Amino acid sequence: MFDAYIGVLVLWPLVAGLLCLVLRSPGVRSTLVLATGAILAIGALGVASQVPFTANPGFLSSETALKVAEGAAFVFPAYFLLRGLMEKHLLVIVFACLQLVLAVVGMLNMPEPQAIASAVVCDGLSLALVLIVAIAGSLICIYALPYMKRHEEHLHLKTSRQPGFFLVLLAFLGFMNGMALSNDLRMFEAFFEATTLCSFLLIGHDNTPEARKSAFRALWMNALGGVMLHSGILLIEKQFGIVDIHAIINPALWTGVSMLPIALLAVAGCVKAAQMPFQGWLLGAMVAPTPVSALLHSSTMVKAGVFLCLRLSPVLQSTNTGRILALAGAFTFFATAALALGQSNAKKILAYSTVSNLGLIIVCAGIGTPIAVAAGVVLMLVHAATKGLLFLCVGDMEQTIGSRDLEDLRGMIAKSPVTALAACAGAIGMVLPPLGMLVGKWATLEAAQADPVIMVFIALGSALAVVCWVRFAGTLMSGKSIEGPHAHTSALTNMPLLTMLASAIGLGMAAPWINALLLPDADAASALAGGWGVMPPLFVVAMLAWIIGMKVLGRQSSVPLASPYMAGLPSAEPNSFVGALGKSWVLTEGNEYATELFGEAKLTKLAGVLAGAFLLALVGGAFI
Amino acid sequence: MSFLKKSQIKSPWLMHFDCGSCNGCDIETLACLTPVYDVERFGIINVGNPRHADVLIVTGTVNPRNAVVLKNLYDQMPTPKLVIAVGACGCTGGVFREAPNVLGGVDKVIPVDVYVPGCPAKPEAIMDAVVTGLGKLKGILEGSK
Amino acid sequence: MNLTTFYLAVAGLILAPLLGGLAAGVDRVVTARLQSRMGPPLLQPFYDVGKLMSKVIAPASQWQGLFVRWALVASLASDVLLAAGGDVLMCFFIQAASACFVTLGAFSGSSPYSKLGAQRELFQMLSYEPVFLVCVLCMAKASGGFDAYSMMGASAQPLLFKMPLIIPGLVFVLLIKMRKSPFDLSACHHGHQELVRGVYTDYAGRDFALLEIAHWADVVVILWICSFLWATGPLQMLVVALIALFVVILIDNISARLTWRHMVKVAAPVALLLATVNLLWLYLE
Repeated sequence: MFDAYIGVLVLWPLVAGLLCLVLRSPGVRSTLVLATGAILAIGALGVASQVPFTANPGFLSSETALKVAEGAAFVFPAYFLLRGLMEKHLLVIVFACLQLVLAVVGMLNMPEPQAIASAVVCDGLSLALVLIVAIAGSLICIYALPYMKRHEEHLHLKTSRQPGFFLVLLAFLGFMNGMALSNDLRMFEAFFEATTLCSFLLIGHDNTPEARKSAFRALWMNALGGVMLHSGILLIEKQFGIVDIHAIINPALWTGVSMLPIALLAVAGCVKAAQMPFQGWLLGAMVAPTPVSALLHSSTMVKAGVFLCLRLSPVLQSTNTGRILALAGAFTFFATAALALGQSNAKKILAYSTVSNLGLIIVCAGIGTPIAVAAGVVLMLVHAATKGLLFLCVGDMEQTIGSRDLEDLRGMIAKSPVTALAACAGAIGMVLPPLGMLVGKWATLEAAQADPVIMVFIALGSALAVVCWVRFAGTLMSGKSIEGPHAHTSALTNMPLLTMLASAIGLGMAAPWINALLLPDADAASALAGGWGVMPPLFVVAMLAWIIGMKVLGRQSSVPLASPYMAGLPSAEPNSFVGALGKSWVLTEGNEYATELFGEAKLTKLAGVLAGAFLLALVGGAFI
Repeated sequence: MSFLKKSQIKSPWLMHFDCGSCNGCDIETLACLTPVYDVERFGIINVGNPRHADVLIVTGTVNPRNAVVLKNLYDQMPTPKLVIAVGACGCTGGVFREAPNVLGGVDKVIPVDVYVPGCPAKPEAIMDAVVTGLGKLKGILEGSK
Repeated sequence: MNLTTFYLAVAGLILAPLLGGLAAGVDRVVTARLQSRMGPPLLQPFYDVGKLMSKVIAPASQWQGLFVRWALVASLASDVLLAAGGDVLMCFFIQAASACFVTLGAFSGSSPYSKLGAQRELFQMLSYEPVFLVCVLCMAKASGGFDAYSMMGASAQPLLFKMPLIIPGLVFVLLIKMRKSPFDLSACHHGHQELVRGVYTDYAGRDFALLEIAHWADVVVILWICSFLWATGPLQMLVVALIALFVVILIDNISARLTWRHMVKVAAPVALLLATVNLLWLYLE
């Protein structure tokens, strides 16, 4: 039974993607994508009902499968090298060559590692990633259907490029599931590299010069991450002769041994999670169509990086490597929250905020105690749903008004109320209690009690994030929207959006119980009795506030509103006043972005250097 | 008298609007806030926002330009509200009454509850007007029981 | 949760706004005396709220009533949490939520003054939140727990001696939260405000009255947390809170308003740095 679920989760998306490519008809494509969503949900629920378990499905453990994985270690870098040569992109060429060299070294020099007991080990962490892929990933794919149709209408393409797009998009979900579940490091690496390939193809999908530039930036950074990952794996194989992930993360194995391989793997995770100074590839990914940025940012791709770090957390717990990693994460959390505050581009706000929250999860991984890791997994799950929701909303509003600038999104609540309100709910969910993100942040802050510097960084980043998101929601609710057509609504747009809204709120509210599920029994009991015990009463209070608020909202919506106070001058229509000679003057509003403090020009270089120093210290410290 | 009704008498927040005064009455009005007169003893606060004001104090003559603003400010105040016309100009238009650009006193535009004569009106007289106005409000509130 | 905690929570729910209102009354009287005036009666804030309650006025935006009620519930919840000995950090976050709802309501309003006030309110939040968090972290480190009871009953020796450097930070936070000069940027208690009433401009009538009650509850939370500095007994805590209140009123009366840039660039970093130094010192000990 496990094998069937795992097969569905890993292989079906690939099959569906290939069918999309072959059959080409939009109707078939929609059916396939919707079916994939349903099938992934069933598979994820099936896995969830059995967790934790181990399994040995043939397609992940057989000789052939391992040969394919080994081949992938050559094929992916070779393809990257080819594309690098075609584009004459030096960094891609260098890192792809390095990856190839490492692959050759691995094939020639390495003894056959010990056979692993089970190819699939599914625990709470794997399940979290599988759920993210199944819920957020497939909703984004469904959302992509109407989005890509409009996107291509806008571009006036002669032949549709959607079949190829959906192949990569769907296959990507399968690779992510494979990565979440596999217990063999070589398999893990193959899936990890496959996601790099997918992200490269998806970011470059529109094939504009800007898209190509961003795609190659993503490629060289992730190839560098690949180099780190592969060298870490080779060192582990050489030293211990094992590739079983769950055997490797046994802390007893690492007492008195250099932590260098773990540090390398952690850095690979940081690159994938776009931690500073590697945040550039995620920001560049903004040029891609919204479903891509939503898929890469919110739900999956970047989660692969934090997944790897969280996976390593038992080994990192109370080691210097772990401490430095947590520090690097905390610094990224703070620095990118500041960068997000200085942005008016809505998608860049989302991107920086994503990097920031991933930094927080990396802090959890670096601290490595069960309570911290549970907080990290809660953050990972809730962030996927909430950020996915925000991406879908911003993408939808962008298609409505043709701009992604926050200033242009002002007053969207009047133009497309459903989307704007969902976005406001998402923004509130990012920062306010009693929803999951804030609760996770709070749990992290208390778990980081051993290190004051981390706590100060979290305190700073937390305040920056609150301001950023309240301003975001406030801007959508404020003023008069710009001229233009009203929103077009389609069931295929609203369905994923509202489901995502429901899961963001639902997961946000369920955070204490998810947390308790993930913890060992003793910790779970004490966590619910202690700090987390405050959540259920808070939910009652929140429900009460909701009921009172809705009643008042109903009453105030039905009465005529007061005329705006414009220093006494009368106002004929919203956002304007009647001035001299009876002329109507329109007010222009704007947010203060304080770019002299938080602008990219001011911060990026400095913060990048500092964050780079943290990562160097991470590797260097372990090396010494 | 219930606490809420009593509160209405004990917490009059004033907004002061200068329609077209020579500033004489304005200076006297603001003098009420100083330690010599200290109107805060009666719970009076000078506010700048009609949405928070209970009493509108108007000084100066009304002309076609500021009549619109005066009416608008009055409309933006919550009910129940009081209007006090301060000084000769506010009451009747004063010496500017016959000027071609002057409409006259405040009562040409909005209903006035208390008139304060004088050129300029004395602070004592202005304070007395507020108290008189509150007495009137008290009467209304008691009548509505 | 035992019965004592329950009674304490109920007491917090009822007493906190009343005490906050009294603090506001004390503030009005003391301010007047500092300016050689008589000042209003001590209960004036309650009359003000009662009056606002009975006013009839159309809302400036359909969302404001909702946000006001959310803010009030959040503020009261943070009081109750503190009274029931809950987690002080969570209590702070809930209170921050209240401030966020007030800001969102101001954003959704129609007057430009309200929106400008909302922008400034955001920068105020940016300035005081980290400072206050670090102050609470200092208290948690010195007392060994994040819950209010362990901070209140930490030791015979007052926490103050272990954390003298957080005092400027706490005063900074109090000045901002109580909307006092020099940091009464987004809204001010007095008439002399270049933004009319800033974030409060569009709130009126009953909504404004509820917001005022929420504000009282907020002030009580902050003063209460300040009083942890000398938590050797209820009387001592009350004295600390009154001293803090007086210091804030004094500063309000002798200083002029600063700009938000000054607050974000100078005042907040200095306060944060001092508090952080104190935190590091506690860890190195």
